[in-house]
Amino acid sequence: MAVQTVVAPRRDSAGEPTPEVTKRRRRWRSGWAGYVFLAPGFALFVVVLLIPIARAVQVSFYQWLPFPGADNTFVGLDNYTRAVADPQFRLGLVNAIVYMLVTVPGQILLGLGVALLLHQRLPGRSLFRVLFYLPVITSWVVVSLLFRYLFATDSGLVNWVLVDVLHVAGHPVGWLDSRWTGIGALSILGIWKGVGWTAVILLAGMTGVPRELHESAAVDGAGYFRRTWHVTLPALRRTLLFLSVMLVIGGFNVFISVLLMTAGGPAGETEMPLTYLYKQAFNFLEFGYGSAIAVIMTVLILILSIGQTLIANRAERGE
Amino acid sequence: MSSVPTRRRLLATAALAVATAMALAACGDDATPTNNNTALSGTITFWHAYSADSQEVKTLETVIIPAFKAKHPGTDVKEVAVPYDQLHQKLLTAAAGSDLPDVVRSDIAWVPEFSKLGLLEQLDASMPDFQQFASKVFPGTLATNKYKGKYYGLPLDTNTRVQMYSEAALTKAGVTAAPKTFDDLKTLGDKLTGTGVFAFADNGLSGWNVLPWIWSAGGDITDKDYTKATGYLNSPASVSGVQMLFDLYKKQEMPNIVLGGTGGTPTSDGLATAKYATILDGPWMYPIFAGAHPDFKLQVAPVPAGPGGSVSVVGGEDVVVVKQSKNKALALEFTRYLLSDEAQLAFAKVGQMSVLQNLDVVSVNPNYRAFVEQLKTARPRPVVPSWPKIDDLLQKKLQSAFKGDLTVQAALDQAATEIDTLLAQG
Amino acid sequence: MTLDTPRLRRTRTIARIGALTAGAVLMIGPFLYMVSTSFKPNMLALEWPPRFIPRPATVANYVQAWSANHFAQYFANSVLVACGTTVATTLFAALAAYGFARFAFPGRTLLFWTMMLGLMVPGVVILIPQFLVARSLHLTNSLSGLVFFYVGGGMAFNTFLLRGFFERMPRELDEAMDIDGAGPVRRFITLYLPLSRPALATSAIFAFLGSWDEYSWAFTSINDPDRYTLPIAIAQYQGQHATSWGLVFAASLIGMLPVVLVFLLGQRHVVSGLQTGALKA
Repeated sequence: MAVQTVVAPRRDSAGEPTPEVTKRRRRWRSGWAGYVFLAPGFALFVVVLLIPIARAVQVSFYQWLPFPGADNTFVGLDNYTRAVADPQFRLGLVNAIVYMLVTVPGQILLGLGVALLLHQRLPGRSLFRVLFYLPVITSWVVVSLLFRYLFATDSGLVNWVLVDVLHVAGHPVGWLDSRWTGIGALSILGIWKGVGWTAVILLAGMTGVPRELHESAAVDGAGYFRRTWHVTLPALRRTLLFLSVMLVIGGFNVFISVLLMTAGGPAGETEMPLTYLYKQAFNFLEFGYGSAIAVIMTVLILILSIGQTLIANRAERGE
Repeated sequence: MSSVPTRRRLLATAALAVATAMALAACGDDATPTNNNTALSGTITFWHAYSADSQEVKTLETVIIPAFKAKHPGTDVKEVAVPYDQLHQKLLTAAAGSDLPDVVRSDIAWVPEFSKLGLLEQLDASMPDFQQFASKVFPGTLATNKYKGKYYGLPLDTNTRVQMYSEAALTKAGVTAAPKTFDDLKTLGDKLTGTGVFAFADNGLSGWNVLPWIWSAGGDITDKDYTKATGYLNSPASVSGVQMLFDLYKKQEMPNIVLGGTGGTPTSDGLATAKYATILDGPWMYPIFAGAHPDFKLQVAPVPAGPGGSVSVVGGEDVVVVKQSKNKALALEFTRYLLSDEAQLAFAKVGQMSVLQNLDVVSVNPNYRAFVEQLKTARPRPVVPSWPKIDDLLQKKLQSAFKGDLTVQAALDQAATEIDTLLAQG
Repeated sequence: MTLDTPRLRRTRTIARIGALTAGAVLMIGPFLYMVSTSFKPNMLALEWPPRFIPRPATVANYVQAWSANHFAQYFANSVLVACGTTVATTLFAALAAYGFARFAFPGRTLLFWTMMLGLMVPGVVILIPQFLVARSLHLTNSLSGLVFFYVGGGMAFNTFLLRGFFERMPRELDEAMDIDGAGPVRRFITLYLPLSRPALATSAIFAFLGSWDEYSWAFTSINDPDRYTLPIAIAQYQGQHATSWGLVFAASLIGMLPVVLVFLLGQRHVVSGLQTGALKA
């Protein structure tokens, strides 16, 4: 190691750091150095995210118009009680929960499958990785429009495959014409877009599993599936928790796909909380109400994320 | 000198003055007030929703704006195209950020709302020559700019919905002419049952969609002063207009795109492929059909008449000046120019029907004839600030009815009550 | 491995490849159809039964997409913004991650979890307050304003990513450098940055993707057409009365090329970066 041009000795005769160094090290480790490194990024974060969030919370207690000089009235919790009683909001919430219950396990299970398949040395492995990741890197705007085109009732590719190719349906399915088929189509899009991401993350986690564990399990007579269940999965616990939390957040925040694929239709049946709040704010100028919905959603997501973490930690401790 | 009687000299001077004034006034047809010699300068921004690849934008960029700049050297107009479904939101965000443009081509339905929010310049106060323009345009189009007795804009272009039909589809029903009355439409529906062709298609149940039927049935949505909906929206006449559509839908003679789902065949594509026999749409469809379905011959007819006649709904855009504008003089001047004969004519050539009474758009394009006829009896949607909320409410209630959750009468009853509350807010 | 004969292994491999191919077809199929549609003249985009090979095929959509309406300008704007965002995000996130990982200071946990809160808030809802903040900083309607907000918005995820990585680096290296008089900055530059290249690459790629595809904020804050980014341009092809699918898809595909390229070049880093524990929180 290169020696700096410093006068004071670094190590004493026993090779241990001198008291000088220890004192300085302690000073560097704790205290302001950390803040300094943190400062630029955190400052940006505060300005771009925290302050607007705080503003949104503040606005949620008002009947608010964003124009300079507008007359904004304080309404306390009115926006919140209105949201809880609003049938359209409740419908959106149910839709979001269903969407989440379908897409989160869907992405994890399918992602796991793909990751397991890719975990071996295979010809074309890199190619497959790229192909599976392609939906992930494409913008939501583009894929939402694409899937709207694919799921069209009379001229869509999906119906053509179902009716003319696979013959599993007698006549074209009106995917985007009713609530549950609409949410089904949205979920298919959500899963399709996220499988690659889940797979890559799981793949990364899997390569961290020590080979010896697999080998000793195999010696004990465990077949492939047993090994996966007892060795791979437990080792992926942290990764799975991370995925679960992120995917749930994503599930509740679904927005662009609903806006562009179903437009919340028909008749608002596939509306989700975010598209509903967007319309409230930008079509009807109900910024206070929209902010209240946003706060409710954020709190919900927070509870779910913390809940998942607690459950996972407890399960880990219980083993 | 003193040989000419003073009184006669005064009279002569007065006569000369009057004559000059009249001559000057007569010259100023294209609206540049001749006493406005203070040089206009600077740049203004103009927001519009003409489609990005349309003839309208090309006309704006290559004809209108250059002509304006030639008239006023040293000025510039920056035009910004905003997609229609995002324009409303963008205007709100810009208003919030005090970042609004100077002039906007706004949907007529938004003008009262923006006026109430205090975003727009009151034109009849700021423009000394406002009356000059107000008298040149159709009264119905001018009325869309009025809020609380004051005018916050001038009409820019107008349009209406007429019936468009597919001959091929009509032939399938054994019918040679487009339906002229409500009964004709019902008969057409019966004749087409089981053929897979729909008698009539529309893509929603908002005011724009159902008001032609309500009005043609002899009903209305509110009273003349926009104070009350109960007794009007749920009157027997109004209900019968909507009921007719509902019956068609129930008998599967109207497709389910009326509920707003995005999976079905759009009205234009359905018409061109003879899947839909009739639709209602506006003059912008000509270039669209020409581009997407060049083999289809678009034919038009008046809206089927009910007990109230054949009454359609007025659409269009108004040009408004933003109160926050930093260059109001230029903004107002550009507004004047947009209402000039030459500008209106240029736009009429590319599918924008003029609001000027003296401009014969039919001679520009014979296709306009049906629309001009229909406009004679067409009516505007209620000119109130809460219209977007009212519209959404109406659509939601009617969609519930079409889904079967409510009867049409009940839906309109409930809608009327809630609309009363919204109207009361002004 | 009792029954692991070569033949069994080969069968398994073939089965795996088969399954992966089926999956890949599902992943790519929609894109292929999109490509096919982009080469069809617009009137045929709604044909039934759908045809994969367009006949007649035309590049008119691509020509129109690229040449009309300043598309090339929007492309350039997106490139500028994405590059700026990538560099700044990676740098600031690395600095912050280093601070979190290697220094103990009061409030560290609180600050970190506050940052993570940023992941849970939907961007949609704070559009207006963000716009007001941007206005007071004179950052509306500017590309640098976009970079500013994208970097701020990307801090949470990228700091999280890099912190996980830094924490797993052996402390002994740290301590050895420390003893020899290397201050924290020097350690950061000469030790952490070089060793964490895969994780930095991962972070850079995510930052690039996030910036390139972002629509809502770009649309809200930019009014000047000269400064539009690509997603705005693509959305604009939806005219007021009709959607030109062929045109929209052609424009979208042109817009996808850079991200695909970036990903292809860097994907090996993404995997190795994740592998070396970037995600072990």
